[in-house]
Amino acid sequence: MQREVGTLPLAPALRARLAAAGFQTAQELLDTGPCGLSKEIGISREEALEALQVVRQECHGDSARTAGGSGATRKCTALELLEEEQTQGFIITFCSALDNILGGGVQLTKITEICGAPGVGKTQLCMQLAVDVQIPECFGGVAGEAVFIDTEGSFMVDRVVDIAAACVQHCHLIAEAQQEEDHGKALETFSLENILSHIYYFRCRDYTELLAQVYLLPEFLSEHSKVRLVVIDGIAFPFRHDFEDLALRTRLLNGLAQQLIITANEHRAAVVLTNQMTTRIGQSQSTLVPALGESWGHAATVRLIFHWNNTQRLATLYKSPSQKESTIAYDITPHGFRDVQPSAGTASTGGTELNPRKRPRTEEEKQQ
Amino acid sequence: MVVLRAGLCPGLTEDMIQLLRDNGIRTVVDFVSSDLEDVAQKCSLSYKALVAVRRVLLAQFSAFPANGADLYEELKSSTAILPTGSPSLDQLLDSGLYTGEVMELMGAPGTGKTQVCLGIAASVSLGLKQHVLFLDSTGGFTASRLYQMLQAQTEDEEEQLEALQRVQVQRVFNIYEVLRALQGLRDRLSQQVLSSMGPLKVVVLDSVSAVIYPLLGGRQSEGLALMMQLSRELKTLAREFSLAVVVTNQVTRDSSSGPLKPALGRSWSFVPSTRVLLESKEGSWERSSTQRAASLAKSPRQPTGIQVELDIGNGDVLDPSLVTPTQGL
Amino acid sequence: MTAGCLGECSIWHQGRYSGDTEHPSNGRSSLKNLEPCLFAEEGSPVHGDVIEFHGPEGTGKTEMLYHLLARCIIPKAQGGLEVEVMFVDTDYHFDMLRLVTILENRLAQGTEEMIKQCLGRLFLVSCSSSTQLLLTLYSLENLFCAHPSLCVLLLDSLSAFYWIDRSNGGESLTLQEMNLKKCANFLEKLVTQHHLILFATTQTLMQKSANSAEGFLPLKLPHETDTDYRPYLCKSWQQMVTHRMFFSKQCNSASSKGFTVVSCHLKRNQIVKRSFSVAECGVQF
Repeated sequence: MQREVGTLPLAPALRARLAAAGFQTAQELLDTGPCGLSKEIGISREEALEALQVVRQECHGDSARTAGGSGATRKCTALELLEEEQTQGFIITFCSALDNILGGGVQLTKITEICGAPGVGKTQLCMQLAVDVQIPECFGGVAGEAVFIDTEGSFMVDRVVDIAAACVQHCHLIAEAQQEEDHGKALETFSLENILSHIYYFRCRDYTELLAQVYLLPEFLSEHSKVRLVVIDGIAFPFRHDFEDLALRTRLLNGLAQQLIITANEHRAAVVLTNQMTTRIGQSQSTLVPALGESWGHAATVRLIFHWNNTQRLATLYKSPSQKESTIAYDITPHGFRDVQPSAGTASTGGTELNPRKRPRTEEEKQQ
Repeated sequence: MVVLRAGLCPGLTEDMIQLLRDNGIRTVVDFVSSDLEDVAQKCSLSYKALVAVRRVLLAQFSAFPANGADLYEELKSSTAILPTGSPSLDQLLDSGLYTGEVMELMGAPGTGKTQVCLGIAASVSLGLKQHVLFLDSTGGFTASRLYQMLQAQTEDEEEQLEALQRVQVQRVFNIYEVLRALQGLRDRLSQQVLSSMGPLKVVVLDSVSAVIYPLLGGRQSEGLALMMQLSRELKTLAREFSLAVVVTNQVTRDSSSGPLKPALGRSWSFVPSTRVLLESKEGSWERSSTQRAASLAKSPRQPTGIQVELDIGNGDVLDPSLVTPTQGL
Repeated sequence: MTAGCLGECSIWHQGRYSGDTEHPSNGRSSLKNLEPCLFAEEGSPVHGDVIEFHGPEGTGKTEMLYHLLARCIIPKAQGGLEVEVMFVDTDYHFDMLRLVTILENRLAQGTEEMIKQCLGRLFLVSCSSSTQLLLTLYSLENLFCAHPSLCVLLLDSLSAFYWIDRSNGGESLTLQEMNLKKCANFLEKLVTQHHLILFATTQTLMQKSANSAEGFLPLKLPHETDTDYRPYLCKSWQQMVTHRMFFSKQCNSASSKGFTVVSCHLKRNQIVKRSFSVAECGVQF
């Protein structure tokens, strides 16, 4: 084992002592043993034992490591991953155009970031997803639960109630149309009350609360293993106001991104973040760009930008590992996040539509 | 700075080590750099024996010089140039990825770094029937996208599946996981345990900045030391096993109008031997397309600054009719 | 590659040079014509000189090393110096293919045979840690004894282990610098005892802190050659350097020469500023 001592996850001070004592490779440490080690570098036997445990884990754990990474396979062929991806399912948005450009909906195990100006509908989509993630499997959902971390206080229970009621009703319509046994059974528990009780809401008022919440998530998620969606509504808010030290901000944000992608993978959850837009003054013109700087742009695997064109809301897929970049129109209706109705498309202001388009399409005729 | 211990080399006995220790000589470096006559006197050891041990230790722990002509011969047989799957990128790289080197793709978010990596994986696994190790530190690896690319290149399903199996994916979300994965790779390659992995030609690390950034700041030298350990590991793997290493990196700029440069600072800037900058042609999300400009920022072979166009939408089998046309933009 | 081969070479060269009266008494060939463009007239390097190439990434340091290397190993008949060179590669950065391209462009008949003959005068050693570098330098001593025509030592780069050593040293500066200091001291010994010329690159790893460069430069550099120089390697090294060359890239070069080198002879206070460009055939002044 030629692994260098400098590359082992040991405390820096311990590493320095080992280096000073002349230890270079992991193998030398293992050969020396706990007694020798405690004598050589002047640490207690317990500390030496602990250090050697880390070394052993690092060196021999390559094959036996799967115990650490629960669920998600950390190492496999692309073929195995493809099969996994194909069976994984999506969280649908109830806007078929948006689902299409996302390749089916919001993907589990990835970070999706929604950027846009205030009022364009970012929180609306988050609330919609917190409901949709709970759709039973027999209706094509992922039958999960949601964690909703709110930094700006924009979560509105009343809206969630509307969205959930519409979703439940939608499923009832499908069940009536298709008359399948498991549908009825699933609907017994898919109720407004149940939906609301499976959205775990956390309010974070500053960045320390947010960081603490995110770093504590793994524990929460192992107790609530059905969670398939983690929303952080307003990722930029805590980092925009009380931040002077930009280097610290970058480091915290990068750590946060790392923690989120680990969470998404180990718990097979979709992570959805919302971010604001800010003006960047360029050489010739200024442009609207997502907040938190360019480095943060790498955090999300999928990036959506919501924006207005006159009165029309548009969503542009700006970054995606699997889908083409494209732009679609969407609408916010009393029932939630929806497609633009062709007839009402131009004059849609959100309140006039009473008959949101449903999916699958067979349902539409039924309703009308 | 290896510690002296019995059995390290012939002639070095436990008694000798104890005597040396009493005189403050603990490590190979201590030993080799001491005045042996002096040591012989102080420890009452045989000068001749000490000289012999010194010679053996030096031979054992120093690197051995190679003659340039021999090295050249060896290199001619071991170097391969791998096509990236994109003719224009190949042109930029002087016909493709060179084994033995580290190539860096840098670019802003959404400029297609992961897409180019997937394209390389597709090209090497399908076209060359060689294996690829893909270290994914951002969760950006998407098998279905790789599959699309393979489907665009061949209709033979058998071949597509075989190619997918030749791409080994490992999710690594922090620096230690990356280092562990690379150590595992080194062990397999040096023991030639290639049962699950055939001839490996390419290692992709997408992205290097995702695992390094969280280490920087604070106790700077700690993070930078780990970064340099990683660079060392990547470069030695590339050299010793004739692999092409591809890493992705973010970009930064000194001021809002300054030129783009690779993230991770000056120390990292020396690491890759070739560096390609990817940029969106439009430069804004409002007018997006699959067209990218790739320009050479560093190369041991080609003049820097040359630029080619790249279409990262290549091999896309998305049905365009599914996508609502862009409205009003 | 093998010990046998090295042995052979040494015998060959020893035989060849033993009766050679053209060389100075110490057996080392003159390097006066190494590269007149780089040095001030009086400041041409002599045996025992230590020259530091300093600069950020992509400023032509390594290219300049290849340039000098090529001049050294090309035969006299073709305008070279025909001496042997030891290249210590600490960064796994040495690019043999690049060197071969440069040789091909510079040799009148760039035949494979000729190139291999040139490359036969090059010895290359790669080190992966500062400890290994130190031990390797110790072990090279014998080689320098046995090869009188081996008179140029190139080291690329001396700063490669800086961060790792610094972290391994913990809080103690002495420990952090210990290996490098030992390397520097031994390099000095090698250079004086064996009458070598040492060229070593050091990378600009840190931004210049205000006024830090003042004390280390004997004279103020002209304003336009602002060399973002911040000495960070150990004192032993700083003190043994006889020439320091600052490499930089010209940002808005209207001319084709994209690189600048400012060469300072530290003892004589001489400064030469040159522009050069890098083409397929290597460095051009």
